[in-house]
Parts: sequence; C-alpha cells; structure tokens
Amino acid sequence: MSYSDTKQHNQHKKTNLKTALSMAAGALLGTGAIVHEAKAEILTDWQFDSAFLYYSEAERVTAAEIIVSANKTFANDEVLNVKLTIDSLTGASANGAVVQAQAQTFTRPSGEGQYVSQAGNTPLDDTFKDTRVQLNAQWTQPLAENYTASIGGHLSKEFDYLSLGINGNLALDFYKKNSTISLGFSHFQDRYTPIGGIPKPYASMLIGDSNSPSWHEDFAATRIASGDNKITSDVLVGFTQVINRRMITQFNYSYSMVRGYLTDPFKIVSVLNQAGTAQDYIYEHRPDERKKQSVFAQTKYHFDQGLLNSVLDFSYRYMWDDWQINSHTLDSTLHMPLASRFGKASYLQPHIRYYQQSAAGFYRPYTFVEQVSNGSSEENFISADYRIGAMTAVTLGLKYGFSLNNGNDFSVRLEYYRQMPSNAGFDQPSELANLTVYPVVQAVIFQLSYSFL
Amino acid sequence: MNKAINKTNNNSKRTLSLQAQEQGYVISFNAMASPCEVLIQTKDHRLAKQVASAVSDEVWRIEDKFSRYNKDSVCYQINNNAGQSMAIDEECYLLLNFAEQCYQLSEGVFDISAGILNQVWHFDGSDNIATKKQVAAVLPLVGWHKVSYQHNSITLPQGMALDFGGIGKEYAVDRGILLSQQITALPVLVNLGGDLAVTGPRLNGLPWQVAIESTEYTKPNSDNNKEIIVALTHGALATSGDSKRFLVKDGQRYSHVLNALTGWPIEQAPRSITTLAPQCLQAGMLATLALLQGKGAEQFLSEQEVTYWARR
Repeated sequence: MSYSDTKQHNQHKKTNLKTALSMAAGALLGTGAIVHEAKAEILTDWQFDSAFLYYSEAERVTAAEIIVSANKTFANDEVLNVKLTIDSLTGASANGAVVQAQAQTFTRPSGEGQYVSQAGNTPLDDTFKDTRVQLNAQWTQPLAENYTASIGGHLSKEFDYLSLGINGNLALDFYKKNSTISLGFSHFQDRYTPIGGIPKPYASMLIGDSNSPSWHEDFAATRIASGDNKITSDVLVGFTQVINRRMITQFNYSYSMVRGYLTDPFKIVSVLNQAGTAQDYIYEHRPDERKKQSVFAQTKYHFDQGLLNSVLDFSYRYMWDDWQINSHTLDSTLHMPLASRFGKASYLQPHIRYYQQSAAGFYRPYTFVEQVSNGSSEENFISADYRIGAMTAVTLGLKYGFSLNNGNDFSVRLEYYRQMPSNAGFDQPSELANLTVYPVVQAVIFQLSYSFL
Repeated sequence: MNKAINKTNNNSKRTLSLQAQEQGYVISFNAMASPCEVLIQTKDHRLAKQVASAVSDEVWRIEDKFSRYNKDSVCYQINNNAGQSMAIDEECYLLLNFAEQCYQLSEGVFDISAGILNQVWHFDGSDNIATKKQVAAVLPLVGWHKVSYQHNSITLPQGMALDFGGIGKEYAVDRGILLSQQITALPVLVNLGGDLAVTGPRLNGLPWQVAIESTEYTKPNSDNNKEIIVALTHGALATSGDSKRFLVKDGQRYSHVLNALTGWPIEQAPRSITTLAPQCLQAGMLATLALLQGKGAEQFLSEQEVTYWARR
C-alpha cells in the first residue's frame, strides 16, 4: 500500500473508475461485476416545457408562438399533460390572384375598403391578422400489463374560428416490449365564421366605390352564409419495433376524412382574357369532402461507438388524397452529443427536410373568361391557392441544446425554409411571360425551448 | 452473535413495524442512526414478515459488527488493540478490501482511517472550526497506507482508528437486497436512511417512486428546496452530503466531508449529491468521491457517465 501503487492505479482513473468500483463492490458482495444496469428517471410534481417560436416569411406572414406544456406523472405511471399554445399571426398572405403587369385593386374580405397590389407583385392581402389560443389535455395510463391507453381533448379558438376535438389511443406491447402496436382515432368539430361571411363560389369579387349607397347590398349578394362547419375524423394504426440496442423503427398508416366547408373564404381566382389580362376575380370553390391517407416509416439509429456517439433519425411519409394531391416528405436529424463540461451535457442537431407535392386536380393558377362562362356549376371546383399547387420545399436547420446542473434543459433552433412552387403544365398567356407566376416563399424559423421542473 | 444480546446492546429498541398497504407491505425499523424501511409488493403477510426479519436482522448484524461505538464490535476491537495484530473473518477482510480500493481510486482522499479527525472537527452548524495546530496533531494518526492487513488478520498502529461509516450502510442495503432475492422473486425496495436499492421494477414493470429529500439549510425560494421524485426500475440510489452537518465561519461554509490527506474540509463541494448505480455500494462511493472533488464534483460524474442529481 504505497503511494507508487496509488499513482499507477490512477493513470486510468477517468475511464476505469466506474468499472473498478463495480468490480470492488461485486467482490465484496459476491455478485461479480456483472449486474443489471441501473435505471432511473426523474419525476416531479409538474414538469414544464416552454417554447417560443418565431416564424417569418420574407414579405409575408410573421407568426409568433408561445407554448407551455405541463406534465405530471402519478404513482402508477399515469401521465397528465396539459398544453397551452398561443400564437399570433400578422402580415400579408397571397389572395390567390395571379401577378399582372399592372397594379390590381381588391376588396378586403370584410367588404370594408380596398387594397392595391403593385405591378409585377404577387397580390397579397395585408389584412391578415389573428390570434389563436389552443388548449390540449391528454391522460395516459397503463390499463393492464402491456396495455396503455390515452384519451385527450382539444380546444382551439381564433376570433373567427372554433375547433373542438377528442382523441383516443390504445397501445399493446408484446415480444418483451420490443414490439408495440397502437390504434388511435381523433375527431374534430370546427366552426368557421370568417369576417365578411362565406362568399358564394364563383361569384365575382365586388370592386368599386365602397362608399356608394348600394355597396353593402351588392357585397351581401356575393355572400351565402355567415359561417360554416367542418368535421374531421382520423384513424391511425402504428407499429413500433425495437430491432436491437441501437435501432428502433416505426411504421404508421393513417386515414383521414374531412367533411364540410373546406374552401378558403379569403381566396380568389383571376379570370384572364386570352392575352393574360385579369378581367375578373371569382371566389374559389373546393369539394366538401376530402379523404386523405398516408404511410409513414421512421428509423432511429444510435451509433454508440463511432460517429461521435450520435443518433440518426430518418423518416419518410407518403400522403395521397382524393383531391389528387400526393406528397413525399423526407426528414432527417442527427443528434450529436458534445463533450460535457462542468456537469452540463450539450448537443448539436442538424436537420434537413425535403418535401414534394403534386397539385390538386382542381388547382388552377388562373382561369379564363370562356371557361367560367361555360360552366360555373357546383361540380366545377377551382382554387388558385398555391398551398395546394405543385411544389417542392426544403428546410435546413440547426439546433443546439444543453442541460443545466439542476436537470433543466435549454435549446435554441434556427431553420431556413424555402418553398418552390412549379407549373403543373398550365399554359402561360403572353402577358405573364415575364412575370413570376409561381413565386418562391422563404421563411426563417427561430425557436427557444426551456424545460424545467 | 446472538440477537437477544444485540437488542440489549442498543439504546434504541429494535422493533419492526409491519404495515399493510394497497400495494403491499411497508416495514419500518431503526438502524445505523437512521429510519429504515423495506417495501415488498405482496399481499402475503407471512412472506412480508419473513423478508422483513431477514433484512432487518442483517442490517442490525452489520451495525453491531462494524459500528465503532459498539464495544462488542469487530471495529471497536480493531481500534483498541494497541498496535497488535488481530484476527479477522472473511467478511471483514472483504470490506477492508473494498475500503482499500476506494482509497486507491480517490488518491488517498477517501480513507476509512480518517474518522479520528472528528476529534477536532465538530460539524454542528457553529463557527467552531478546527485550528491548524489541532489538525496537525491528529493528522499523523490518519493514513490507510500505515495499516497492514492480510486475509485473516489486521494490524493497526496504536492510536489510529477505522470508521466503516462511509460504506457500512450502503453495504447493508446491498446485503438486504441479496437476502430478499433469495427469499422471493417479488419486488422489494430496501431503504436505509435514504440510501436505497430495488430488486427490480414493481409488478407489471412499473417503476418505484423515490423522493430525494431537499437539503434543509438552503436559501428560501431557491430551486434547491424542491423535492425531486425519481422513478427507479433497476439499481440503487445513494446520497452523500452535508445537509445538516457543517460549520460556517466568516461567510465560508465548511462541509463535513474531510480530505483525509490534509485533514481539512473539501472546499466548494455541492451540498449533496445523489447518484444512480447498479448497487448501493457503487452509488454511495460515486457520490462520496464526487463530493471529494469539490468544485469539480458534477464534472467528475459527467465524465464517468453517472446519472446524478446535485444540489449546491
């Protein structure tokens, strides 16, 4: 027992101390060094997650969102989650009309006043402003061995929108909990009472002197109701499989049925002459039913030795619906732990996402005078909303997070989003030749998250 | 040793209280100057009683054998053998071996022969810190390298003393778990004054919920006051700290954790550290070794990839 012995021992102290203690304890207890890995996680009265998200499109919408989520775990592993989301949207949103070589005048959705879009600019309705408060509550509990059930409620309120929802989920673990099958459903009931009411499909947007005595009467003639409803029902079947210590995979299939008012009351379609000059703007018209299906596959792989001990997450989703929209989403993150310092563990997480979507069958970037006069019937659906047109989109992001000594976590995320619409084979009249009919949308996303006990 | 004698040896009465609860039985008793409990998830009263007496008898046996205050203990005899060689049994030898390993791993900062420093350090919350002269006077009596021991004997220089306080309780927790596992496969938790271990998860794979108590002498409104609840499925938790034992002088707080090489308290150590490990002996020693790092306690545990909760 000399000091030279001690020194020899300590040369490998940093890496071997835990193992050395295991061996020493194993020798004393006669258990050997191999024992069950210890496992414990922290529970508290309430655990809070908070996030601030800022989303800003160049020259368009800016959204700020605050999320506060609280979790409580009860004695028998029941978990209650309550989440409050408040977001506020401001800025301008494309109204659906196509760009022109001259300035264009539009009436605001409320019918009160007009706005002008400059020549060569994508027409944007700059009255876009809303605040939404959303409340979700979810209760999850084990039912019996290997069965976990969850039910939840949802309430969301904007000044012109109310959404109420319920959901339920049942998960069954088997094969020593290496496999999980889950079945879920959700049902939402929405009430939409847009400012200015519900416009009549194919009705021309009233443009002119809003101070004239007949204005209100004329505007009202383009309206059919003050509000409308929408019902959404979703069913989801999922399968999760632990492949080995390093790899986990998940497969989902979902079926979604939406019925009711699916049109956007604020969106119009330009009616052009053969040369491409706007003659009229008509309110869009979408089907009152949409059936969506999707398949989703995800793999997480933990490189425990090489590649900086990182975790790769890769997922693919294919979605298709009876509006003839189909989309592919590829999403990947790489979670890279950084060397921990002063008891703080930190990580970097790059993110890349690629999205591609085909246009809805009734999507038109614009229509023509002859087509409108030929048949403006109920069956002829039309929309110039770029969000249901053909496009590709890319997101690039980076997240940095660290844990504090007291177990609280902090993270910051910065992402760039670029949406590139494309022409899905529509003829372009000569007047539009030098104009940007399919403008690129760019946005930055900035998020701060803090989890605390 | 005879159990009846043990009972008379101790001031506190050695009684077990068995309480049936919805989830099983809670057995409470006192040992090693701490409230102790055993939780067993069964409705079988006889089985609960069997586990209860096996664990409590073992804890009391270890207390009697290794307490430095008990005049019949092996520890007392080692400490009072006037520099003469003394015979020891296998268990004592294995415990000394474990202490030796800890001494080596801590570069001599953790030392079971350092208990004698308590003659000059009284951690009673006062400002009564030891003088350099006092520390210098007892320091020659500290030093594990001066102890010689073999498989069946030990020789301690005269005036020196061993104190198993830093490992005895954790050892008793692990022994309690091993004995429970020999009796039943049902879930058992052994908690000796906050150092605890489980045989595995509760029925249906559910975790045990364990509260890590807050330190008493912290600033009001600070996060440190909060009790932390941990869901434990496998392994052990042990806490090392000075929540009640410290000195304060000129605004400096002196923790009761002493550096055996200098005889002085470790500076800037966290007030308490709780660690998770497969067995309680490891958890306890990791927490103690971390405290001995002072300012670098958390970094030390992070580097060792240990799950821990520290309060400063």
